[in-house]
Amino acid sequence: MSVKTFNLPDLGEGLPEAEIVNWLVAEGDMVNVDQPMLSVETAKAVVEVPAPYTGRIAKIHAPDGTILPTHSPLVDIDTDAGTTEAATSSAEASGASSAAAETAETPDTADEAREDSGTVVGKMMTSNDVLHDADIAGRGRRRAGGKVKAAPAVRALAKELGVNLEDCRPTGRHDRVVADDVRAAAASTAPATPRQAPKVKLPPGEPERLRGPRRAMAQSMSAARDLVSQCTIFDDADIHHWVPGQDITARLLRAIAVACRAEPALNGFFDGENMSRQLESRVDIAIAVDTPEGLIVPVIRDVGQKSPQELRADLNAIKTATRERSVKPEDMRDFTFTLSNFGMMAGRYATPVVVPPTIAILGAGGLRHDVVAVMGGIETHRRIPLSLTFDHRCATGGEACRFLAAAITDLQKHE
Amino acid sequence: MAQITLIEGVTMALAWEMEHDDRVIVLGEDVGVNGGVFRATAGLQQRFGPERVMDTPLAESMIAGMSIGMASQGMRPVCEIQFMGFIYPTVDQMINHAGRLRNRTRGRMHVPMVLRAPFGGGIHAPEHHSESTEAIFAHMPGVRVVIPSSPRRAYGLLLAAIRDPDPVVFLEPKRIYRLQKQEVVDNGEALPLDTCYILREGEDVTIVTWGAMTFETLKAAAELEKEGIDAEVIDLATISPMDLDTILESVEKTGRLVIVHEAAKNCGVGAEVAAGVAEKGIWDLKAPIVRVTGYDTVMPLFKLEYEYLPSVARIIDGVKKTFED
Repeated sequence: MSVKTFNLPDLGEGLPEAEIVNWLVAEGDMVNVDQPMLSVETAKAVVEVPAPYTGRIAKIHAPDGTILPTHSPLVDIDTDAGTTEAATSSAEASGASSAAAETAETPDTADEAREDSGTVVGKMMTSNDVLHDADIAGRGRRRAGGKVKAAPAVRALAKELGVNLEDCRPTGRHDRVVADDVRAAAASTAPATPRQAPKVKLPPGEPERLRGPRRAMAQSMSAARDLVSQCTIFDDADIHHWVPGQDITARLLRAIAVACRAEPALNGFFDGENMSRQLESRVDIAIAVDTPEGLIVPVIRDVGQKSPQELRADLNAIKTATRERSVKPEDMRDFTFTLSNFGMMAGRYATPVVVPPTIAILGAGGLRHDVVAVMGGIETHRRIPLSLTFDHRCATGGEACRFLAAAITDLQKHE
Repeated sequence: MAQITLIEGVTMALAWEMEHDDRVIVLGEDVGVNGGVFRATAGLQQRFGPERVMDTPLAESMIAGMSIGMASQGMRPVCEIQFMGFIYPTVDQMINHAGRLRNRTRGRMHVPMVLRAPFGGGIHAPEHHSESTEAIFAHMPGVRVVIPSSPRRAYGLLLAAIRDPDPVVFLEPKRIYRLQKQEVVDNGEALPLDTCYILREGEDVTIVTWGAMTFETLKAAAELEKEGIDAEVIDLATISPMDLDTILESVEKTGRLVIVHEAAKNCGVGAEVAAGVAEKGIWDLKAPIVRVTGYDTVMPLFKLEYEYLPSVARIIDGVKKTFED
């Protein structure tokens, strides 16, 4: 006697168990291969399981109603119990029966007939989760507008130009923003602030970081460039009639003080942001002094009230202090006018730079002998070349010329 | 009021319509005695008899052809194809007859039939059982393609499909047949066809999807919300003819469009959605349209099935692409 145990096959893909609905055969019955033996219910369908072998049902392991794990023993079949004929058919059917046992494992070999019998392929996901969704049947198209309409290329242009599409006035069809609208918006929102200094990149080397007076000069000259509307007038003072022994710098200081009295518009301060000027009656003159560390500008106070001797004493004190580097910060502040006496080495005229908030600066070049035309002939005279720069925002050209004329007249006095 | 699954919504709609309209009959392989390969027609034969719930031979072309014939003569056949992989013999019938009988007869005949079939992957089925080839039917003039994505819409849209005077291919996302439940009132009220369904309202990005992918897409939308992205999720529902207006209206609001579908990308229905928005809604787009889809390969068997199907992570990545500058 050869008893074979048949295990419950996986009737779906990966089904863990199945329920025995009812047996169609009983213990002791003869079965032929492929004859339905029992009904089994899976997650999806009721399936009939055919006999894998021909023989006699020796033992039923799971009665009706049992929930049986897949691959558990289902039935024992005595395959010796058949007739000779049955044994032959059993031999023929052995291939088919093993296929039947493997139905689910090799679904590719399954034919549609097996699907028809409800041997559903696959594995269904199930849960009791409740689905919530808004379930709004379509709204159709509201043409509410409000959103900017623009082609992708126009959007790209706006991004490139840094323009907000909302800021563009749409002139295209159907209120679309077109490229010209973006360009127009870009032009109108161009920054009114001073233009950005171009990025400077030094060639490889060891840059020296500016400090002290040179650094202060860089800052004040940048401010002057950005803020002041510079205008320069050139002329000469003829000092042919000077008596010998005149103190040139003291005369220049006095001339400035005299000119300030004659034309007060250049002595004082201007605040362009608040559009206000403050003219001073006292004349405090800063004198630009060249030093190895950079430009320093000590101040001589109340020039108009000082004698030539006092001015000379102040100038000498400045010279000493500069040499000793003992000029105090407060001695370089609050001047109303500037004198740049640059002509000691070289240079005739210049365009001296007004340092805000002051209004003007006078530059004196190198004193020299010039050929001058005089009535009836040609003479050589000593002359001082003068360069007057003023802030044209708050002083007129006429005021500047009157100032310069007054200074020259004083300088040319026969003393 | 019962909490039911999507497939129970299908069964409930069939039963309601058979009960209230004698012209409705159900036919297909194993729909009768067996109750259908997924139990969609369970109990119908016992209730309405074998003449109205007919088991047919394994001959899909014949099933569709028979349905066209019956429909053109005044009946309302609802036939079932067991899997999308077996639907292709019906293509001849659907494109050459169902979709054009009204035109051919100058309106004297029309074909109020429904061709039902489960479709899509994700149930670890063998070859041929997992495709999403809805685009084949969407390309047929005169044929509606409807895909429900919830128990309520399965019920309401199937009723509408049966009542529609023209042929409807009703594709059921079998992966979510039993995945979630919903309360559905069995009152015979149909839902509108040819319209999208907005599953989630949002302001930042529009995600258009359909079928089983609504499940992953809604999950992705919930994840994106945590990151501050407010997604609007639209279920296309009627694949053809497409309700482009609802999509355009949403894109007008959000300026971004992501399309999620399970089918291969090449010539998928997503291409049609993208083309429609490019034609009429390009003025609103802030970013290129993104498609998150299956791959242009044969649908793999079960070990790789979930590599093929768009995942929540892939959908989130796709949405984030539309926020890149």
